[in-house]
Amino acid sequence: MTGDSSRRGVRSVRRLIFALLWLILIDQFAPSLLRRFEKGRYEATTQFRFENADLFGLGPLVSYLRENPHGRRRRIAFLGNSVLFGYGLDAPDALPAQFQKLQPGNLVLNMAVNGSQLGSSYLIAKAMVDSVDTLFVQVVGEGADPMLPALIPVADAEVRMFRLPEPDPLESRLRSVAGIWRMYALNYRFQAALFGTSTRQYLYLHRKDIGLRLVAPFYAQPAPAPPSWPMTNATAMFRSPRSATPPTGTRRMQLRREHQLLWEFADLMRSRRKRAVFMQIDQPVNALIEGEVADFNATYAPFAELIIVSIDPGLKFDGRHVTPQGASVVADVLARHEMQQRSGR
Amino acid sequence: MIFGDIRFFALFLGCWISFFALPRRWRPAVLAVWGGAFYVLYAGRFVFVVVALAVLVFFSGSGAVIPWLTGIVIVALLAFFKLTSVTGALPEGPANPIAILVPLGFSYLAFELLHVVIDRRRGRIGTVAWAELLAFVFFAPARVAGPIKRFPDFTAAVRDAELSGEDVYAGILRVLMGFAKKFFIADMLAFTVSEGSYFYSMGQVWTIVLAYSFQIYFDFSAYSDIAIGFARTLGIRLPENFDRPYAAKNIREFWDRWHMTLSRWVRDYIFMPAGQRLFQTRMRRWPIAIAVVSYLTAFTIVGAWHGLTVPFLLWGLYHGAILSLYHVIRLKTPLWLAGHLWYRSGAADAMRVAVTFLCVTVGWVPFMLPLKDAERVLALMFGF
Repeated sequence: MTGDSSRRGVRSVRRLIFALLWLILIDQFAPSLLRRFEKGRYEATTQFRFENADLFGLGPLVSYLRENPHGRRRRIAFLGNSVLFGYGLDAPDALPAQFQKLQPGNLVLNMAVNGSQLGSSYLIAKAMVDSVDTLFVQVVGEGADPMLPALIPVADAEVRMFRLPEPDPLESRLRSVAGIWRMYALNYRFQAALFGTSTRQYLYLHRKDIGLRLVAPFYAQPAPAPPSWPMTNATAMFRSPRSATPPTGTRRMQLRREHQLLWEFADLMRSRRKRAVFMQIDQPVNALIEGEVADFNATYAPFAELIIVSIDPGLKFDGRHVTPQGASVVADVLARHEMQQRSGR
Repeated sequence: MIFGDIRFFALFLGCWISFFALPRRWRPAVLAVWGGAFYVLYAGRFVFVVVALAVLVFFSGSGAVIPWLTGIVIVALLAFFKLTSVTGALPEGPANPIAILVPLGFSYLAFELLHVVIDRRRGRIGTVAWAELLAFVFFAPARVAGPIKRFPDFTAAVRDAELSGEDVYAGILRVLMGFAKKFFIADMLAFTVSEGSYFYSMGQVWTIVLAYSFQIYFDFSAYSDIAIGFARTLGIRLPENFDRPYAAKNIREFWDRWHMTLSRWVRDYIFMPAGQRLFQTRMRRWPIAIAVVSYLTAFTIVGAWHGLTVPFLLWGLYHGAILSLYHVIRLKTPLWLAGHLWYRSGAADAMRVAVTFLCVTVGWVPFMLPLKDAERVLALMFGF
């Protein structure tokens, strides 16, 4: 009995050592493997968006962009909520993907997330501004997601400004110590690079495909019917007013006070000599009025520009989110505007 | 999930090293200190409440008043936390001290402490050492979601714990299995369950209720697996909590396999004493009535243990009622039927498993939803 038990003990120790050696071996290849997966997901794509409209993929993408500030193509990122993400649409039908089709020479990253507001976009932009060339930012709300400090670098001042929860110092210290084990440190990035979201979310989203693939040898699967979206003659209106002269100091102070976050965002872009196009779609709460927009544009051109987009109800399927045709119309307007801006500069 | 938190891992690693590095006689103190640190980290000032209860329990071995007082304080605190945490009677927010004092695993702790108080009074637990009691109270792996430990078994397990490759290996495998269950099965089922913000058809509600039925099993048993696995790496065997409950052939067997440590606690400290008391009354002429009353009492308390709300109480009563019904059917089944070949066949067993699973699954509806939604879901499930 004792002999049996000690033999089992020795066998278990041997297995543990074997597993440990495997982990050490795999760990050596982790960074190079990750580079390959991330290049495939973020650089070789023509219709990038997160697999699921949540924050999971954001941290890994921002980390990748910060580590690789220059890509083969100019980088254009879209920041906003479910309207830009393309709620209800397939990835190629979303607005940023339609924009990508019109500008194949650029890399368009759809970084929109459900419920995201301008505060989140500002923090994300700040974390990656040196790694992108142009930002399209939806102006909606002012809040920032409380999860952000755990995902991207956020300065203490911003944590206080947006009243975000401060990361636990003990947890941060332990994480940095545990970071010696690269598979642990990079596990979120691996999941995002392989699946575009968390593994479990990916499995859930693709459960039917995975199930069908498993039974495919025994079951002839009918081709899925394409979704039919009604085509209309509706269109999107677009305005980008600009005052003839920049506003006076007092007026600037007043506007800054009223829309502080937007002006700080524009300051950021101007200080880094990058361009941001702010989109005020269909009069959100706290929308800027025409005169304010004109003064804003006169102050920050060409680094920041605020445009007013009015989308015809016929281009929306639930009163808020755009149809593929709606996304295509808006993308077309934006692409033409950007071409004009670049040729004008 | 506390078990997935790096701080928990760091604390447990520290505990594991000192448990085996320091002399054997210090082991209870090691578990108490690291467990206390764990409790402070995750429950903050609530640790003082737990220490105060431990002091009461420590002194509950003598006299007639202190054990009763201790028991009443534990039950009153449990009821208070159940009321405040479930119904939200107290406003939340950092300004409210009650909201900060999260009663981490208090339901489990309360039953463990009550067991010590009762068994000391019954003479089943002799002298209690301070360090052993605190190790029992603060044992981190079991503090999150059970299993509900027994003091004599736990102290014996700590005393006899040996560093063994077999235990470490088996423990790590059990922890990994628990995480896999939690992340790849329970959490994925939770996505399906969360689709049910609006209920519209029979098929949809059955899908959601069935998904919940498996989610709650995989989620809860995953926590138990992780707790048992962590303890096993220390050479400490915790009691098992689940034994394929959905393969049970009747509702009584289900409760022998589901949350086993709770079932045994309820059997030993509510069901049996209640039955014995009733047998001393005129009711002894109606043993079936005694069983029914005992089941209903015991399971109403089980429902209240989960939460002091009407849906939880209804869930408890429902289980008490079907256990009573099963008890009556079992006693009244004619011998010719019980001895029939078909009655003992595999097909009949499969039917029993299906019916038991169905009864349990229907019972989860008030457990998972507010009463109003539960009514609507039950109506949709059965086509009303």
